[in-house]
Amino acid sequence: MFKNLLLGSKALLNREKRNSELEEELQAYIRDSIEAKLLNGLSREDAERETRIEVGSLDSVKHKVWKAGWESTVDTIGGDAKYTFRRLARSPWLALTIALSLGLGVAANATVFSLVRKFILSPTPFGHSETLTTIYVIPDKANCCSKASLPLYRDIRDQAKSFDGVSAWFELLPASLGGDGDPERVWGQAATTNFFDVAKLQMPLGRGFISQEEHAQVIVLGYQLWKTRFSGDPQIVGKTVTLSGHLFTVVGVAPRNFRGMDQLLDPQFWVPLSNATSLYPYVRDPERRAQAWLRIAARLKEGVTLASAGSEMAQLAQRFALAHQDTDKGERFLFEPAGSLAPGDKRGMKFLLLAFSIVAFLVLCIACANISNLLLAQGAQRKREMAIRLALGATRIQLLRQLMFENICLALMGGAIGAAVSIWATAKLSSFRLPISLPVDLSVGVDWRVLLYTFALSLLASLIFGFLPAWNASRPIMPNALKGEDMLAKPGTKWSVRSALVVFQVTLSLILLCASGLFLRSLERATKIDVGFRANEVLFMGINPQLHAYTAAKTVRLLRTVRDRIAHLPGVISVTTTDEVPLSILHAARSNQIMPMTAEHPLSSRIVDLYMIGPQYFETLGIPVLAGRGLGEESPDGPKVAVVNEEFVRTVLHGANALGATVKDGDLPYEIVGIVKNAKSKTLGEDPQPVLYRSLSQTAAAFPSYDGYKFMIRYKGDAAGLSQAVRKAILTTDSTLAIFDTATMEEHLQDALFMPKLVGTFFICFGLVGLVLASIGLYAVISFSVSRRTKEIGIRMALGARPDAVQRMIVGWGMRLAAASVALGLPVALLAARFSASLLYGLKPYDFITFTVVPTFLLLISLLACWIPSRSAARVSPMVALRVD
Amino acid sequence: MDSTSVGVVPGTLEMLVLKTLALEPMHAYGISLRIVQITEGAFNVNPGSLLPALTRMERAKHVKGEWRATENNRRAKYYVLTPLGQKALESETDAWGRQVAAITRILKA
Repeated sequence: MFKNLLLGSKALLNREKRNSELEEELQAYIRDSIEAKLLNGLSREDAERETRIEVGSLDSVKHKVWKAGWESTVDTIGGDAKYTFRRLARSPWLALTIALSLGLGVAANATVFSLVRKFILSPTPFGHSETLTTIYVIPDKANCCSKASLPLYRDIRDQAKSFDGVSAWFELLPASLGGDGDPERVWGQAATTNFFDVAKLQMPLGRGFISQEEHAQVIVLGYQLWKTRFSGDPQIVGKTVTLSGHLFTVVGVAPRNFRGMDQLLDPQFWVPLSNATSLYPYVRDPERRAQAWLRIAARLKEGVTLASAGSEMAQLAQRFALAHQDTDKGERFLFEPAGSLAPGDKRGMKFLLLAFSIVAFLVLCIACANISNLLLAQGAQRKREMAIRLALGATRIQLLRQLMFENICLALMGGAIGAAVSIWATAKLSSFRLPISLPVDLSVGVDWRVLLYTFALSLLASLIFGFLPAWNASRPIMPNALKGEDMLAKPGTKWSVRSALVVFQVTLSLILLCASGLFLRSLERATKIDVGFRANEVLFMGINPQLHAYTAAKTVRLLRTVRDRIAHLPGVISVTTTDEVPLSILHAARSNQIMPMTAEHPLSSRIVDLYMIGPQYFETLGIPVLAGRGLGEESPDGPKVAVVNEEFVRTVLHGANALGATVKDGDLPYEIVGIVKNAKSKTLGEDPQPVLYRSLSQTAAAFPSYDGYKFMIRYKGDAAGLSQAVRKAILTTDSTLAIFDTATMEEHLQDALFMPKLVGTFFICFGLVGLVLASIGLYAVISFSVSRRTKEIGIRMALGARPDAVQRMIVGWGMRLAAASVALGLPVALLAARFSASLLYGLKPYDFITFTVVPTFLLLISLLACWIPSRSAARVSPMVALRVD
Repeated sequence: MDSTSVGVVPGTLEMLVLKTLALEPMHAYGISLRIVQITEGAFNVNPGSLLPALTRMERAKHVKGEWRATENNRRAKYYVLTPLGQKALESETDAWGRQVAAITRILKA
């Protein structure tokens, strides 16, 4: 085998020598043959003649010998390649157009694939991920998933026999990291000590927790935090760090890609579970069975399948339900692979990815139609070349092989363009931000899998869609083609494959463009949505005093001191505090137990958003107070007061006179002292939500905020300068406070437009790509038909047709194709629009403007794509045209 | 040339060449001549098939080509049977024997 390779490559490299040896051998053979025949008594002339007959053509013998080794194949491919490059270089624009079409189509798919890879096919950094599963609790009558309480976790851990280890963790633990530099707010997780063993992680530095460390103040750092905050210090193990004012000893660093067992979250440290309550007062009553605050993961025992573990868990659920009637009745368990999306997020994500995939696939279809079309046109023009090569002795297979080789080259070029575009696109995509302060990892990128997918896809597309044109081109109708008259082979056929392809791609691009138009209009609507407050010239900045051992009373005092400091800064009009900035999607505080004082049970199941606010809240945000007053510095011990919005009056109080009335949240009464206009609470797209604004100073003790408190400042002038001044005001009060979530309300609104912007950008990019590709296709077909009909046009002109009439004829034909596409595409687009309803903001799917403007726009573009090539038809000179071969 | 002469039975050329070379190293014309002589002109071998076959066999290390002087002092490429070629000859002869026996049985049945 090796020798074969060696000899082959030797022959290939040293072709001269190989040929001369062969020549010598052949000559010797002939000489011997002639001599033998002379000895037999033939004349020299006869001997030579007979030998020539026996040996046959010398070149043919040499060729046969040459073909005996594998190197000849390499040689032919080399020849094909050389020929291909020459051909492609001769029509660079065509090659570039095909490669670009392919590249854009493939890039669309590669970008979507990089999302799919990230959110559906993501690799997990755990050891033996197939036996690791996360366990969700589905409470009675609920559709989906909730967390588990500590006692429930202990029950599962002690009773389930299917697992080697069961681990639990609190998934979002905020902390303030002290030490060198400014204090920094970081997010981490508090986990049981077996967490890293259950995950079977290879720690790059140090170790995970050991079982004795249940109450120890030890910490495992995330790779990213270790790299950035501790500059990758290799001696970090054994050192101490300050976490929310407590000292923790570093025992290890987690692997680079490890982000906990969840896919979207990006925690940066891990501490043993018992620290959760001391680090963070939000976790109250950790031992209560009704307090569901933990996520669970389990490692299957060897040989135990998920199905059998599932049936064991179902039995356990029944046992728990009997033992704990009030909390565990009707409870079920759900397994999800570790490192996957939470089941609740998965459905939405899958819908979005499916929509994107379909759209990307449509773009690819348009691109492929383009490729087929351009290659068909080119093949028709090359029929003569093919006929000549056939006449000179090439086989059809050889022609086909060479044509397919061209396709492969084009595919590689397309793949390279596609890869480049998708790298750019994923970088753009990663720069989208969610309007929430949780540590969420939404970055996508191009890795080897995406690259492989890109090239495989472009190769596949070009082989499939290049085969028919290549097949067609490799079998010209010989006598006609040799004379260059293939165009007369089938006179009068106007509706060719090419026309059908063009109609197909223009139809698809119309559908895409309609979708883009809808989402563009939706984005426009979304930016104009009345949020109910004035967002311009408002700045906010967050601190979480609970992370710095502040009690509720001390927190309230701190907030007031800082507010006073800020109020005296130049440019500040008003300042307030709140537990959550509006439009932050995941509003933590909500209640379904709010009812009028006289009611036994809440009348409606409407969930009420709860805010804690300081003085001047409504002035700062510019929310009009309709009746009564806003909240001021309420006395912490006084009767609890609240402000409600119109929607609250309508849904909870059913329009009754609200001012002065009392409502209760469970057992807690609130006296309503004011009514304000509705404002958007969680998202831009939501319908008005009932909101109960409580006084921060009265509620901070009983209901500590999950994510600290934010100062909101209405100002006049320069935001950046003020931001610095506010930061200074906070740090002068307490220099250890970590400051986070600094932004202007306008920036926050831009982030809140995340969804319409993402979807809009996506569709507009794809729609425009589709439009460009389809216009190229239309242009190519028209210009090809003009060049093909040159003779016909010449005859028409010679018979007296005017140039503009000829041009009208050409354009008219192209526009008939475009009109047919619109007629086909519009109903499909209308149908597709129905499915997009859930993604639209304040827009009906059958939007009149979209569905009139887009087809008109498409027809105009088509007109342009037909008009440009038609000019050359008008310029045809009858004298020249009739002499065209 | 004998008018009854035909090409060799398809697939047997390499075996015949190996057998011929088993006697002594030979050059291409010698091989061709020997096959014609032994078969009394029934098979004829032309360079168009012999030389590619020799190239293939050389690649498969069944024979080894060497340039040597001939008896009348000219240069010619002699092919020498290698041990690997010897083995190939034996196994091909075996297989051939079985095939012929089988075919004969069918024809006589």
